[in-house]
Amino acid sequence: MRPALFLLVLVLVSACGSGTGDHARRLRLATTTSTRDSGLLDDLLADFYKLHPMEVQVIAVGTGQALALGARGDADIVLVHARSREDAFMAAGHGLLRRDVMWNDFVILGPPADPAGIRGTTDALEALRRIRASGARFVSRGDDSGTHIRERALWKLAGGPPTGADAYLDAGQGMGRCLVIADEKGAYILADRGTYLSFRKRIDLEVSCAGDVRLRNPYGAMIVDPDKHPDVNAAGARLFLDYLTSSRGRSRIASYRMDGKALFHPHAPG
Amino acid sequence: MSFLWEGIKEAARLVATGDAATLHAVWVSLLCTAVSITLAAVIAVPYGAWLGLYRPRGRRTQVFFLRVGMSVPTVVIGLLVFGLLSRRGLLGSFDLLYTQIAIIAGEFLLAFPLLGTLAHGATAELDPEVVETPLTLGAGRWRAMLKVLRERRVAIVAAYLAAFGRCITELGIAITVGGNLRLHTRTLPSSIQLELSRGEFGKALAPGILLVLLACGAALITHRLSRESEA
Repeated sequence: MRPALFLLVLVLVSACGSGTGDHARRLRLATTTSTRDSGLLDDLLADFYKLHPMEVQVIAVGTGQALALGARGDADIVLVHARSREDAFMAAGHGLLRRDVMWNDFVILGPPADPAGIRGTTDALEALRRIRASGARFVSRGDDSGTHIRERALWKLAGGPPTGADAYLDAGQGMGRCLVIADEKGAYILADRGTYLSFRKRIDLEVSCAGDVRLRNPYGAMIVDPDKHPDVNAAGARLFLDYLTSSRGRSRIASYRMDGKALFHPHAPG
Repeated sequence: MSFLWEGIKEAARLVATGDAATLHAVWVSLLCTAVSITLAAVIAVPYGAWLGLYRPRGRRTQVFFLRVGMSVPTVVIGLLVFGLLSRRGLLGSFDLLYTQIAIIAGEFLLAFPLLGTLAHGATAELDPEVVETPLTLGAGRWRAMLKVLRERRVAIVAAYLAAFGRCITELGIAITVGGNLRLHTRTLPSSIQLELSRGEFGKALAPGILLVLLACGAALITHRLSRESEA
């Protein structure tokens, strides 16, 4: 049923496309700020445009909002990093197809004074427990972003977040702004490595804990189901998804460098 | 349309059940606005009235700067306060960034030129006799000015409420120097911003409706007062 419908939609979309011209060439990509701010997305799109002359409109928001855009049909493809939310999105029938694309990692950053004494720790849960025990400040994203969801999961595994209202600062903002707040307040924070690298020169925060497998951050891409929203450009979305998971796309992801450092690792095929 | 309706229903539910975070945001919004505009009014209203009534040297330049101050975008005011309060800034050692005091400082700067300009406007067009009479009766200049301000109280209250409307709806300052910290510095406007970024349209509408109610309340009072003064 599904493949047949997909084909039908493909035909319809391409028929519309040949009629109106612009519709099928425009692709709305809802993604997280981390992919845009790291510069990876621009790099991938530049390569993608060489293969497919399309106009990709990037809407860079939090994971929660990106998924909501997809669920409302205001985006054609969603690229986010929150596996449980992605599965819920697919289970609710909002998505036509989901694929793992790549992963990067989170780091726990802290002030140079390191009041919790966690520098060099590779056990993320131990690091969080020490932060809580020391009463040091911790800035939470608090915005239902992929990073926030991971942060909550890690705190849960570590026995719960700090309870003091002055120790646990729930900022409800994007990664960049939260890094500035943590830097100003001398607080610890969970950040994706990409955003940290782009802020590194402007803040005093240092990597306190990294390398734990629990800090891995996988990204998945989902095509929005055109059955629910007929104006979704599923064909364009499919081209982009195929590109991301092709050997060309994967090697582009792997070779992307920020400050001379690799950030993203393509998902192993198969 | 049903999408909007669902949002309104969700908003009504949050307000009716007294959601703690929403109510706290109301409290922070009201507190910061009230403190900042009151502090600003205590200085800016006499200042503007003095300019209007006694036309001191340099009045035009000062009024000009008040008007310029009124058109400074709030995000720029936010940047200015951020620069002062940042750890690397002049007042960095006080750890005031991302506190209610930081929001109050920003809203003070927002309200001051507005109140000064309106107080000047409320007094500059008056017949010079309104101050000359009490002055000839032996009152000091300060006392004479207070007497005029008392007579022009409707215009002054209207200015105060205009400042209220400006500050309570303020987002740029609240985010930049308040930091939108839950149960600390999260205001109604920054709650809206946050819920939208979470994709929660209904939850964004709840603080939106409260904000509209507060702003309407202020407008209603202004309207009432101006009608009473006409009567």
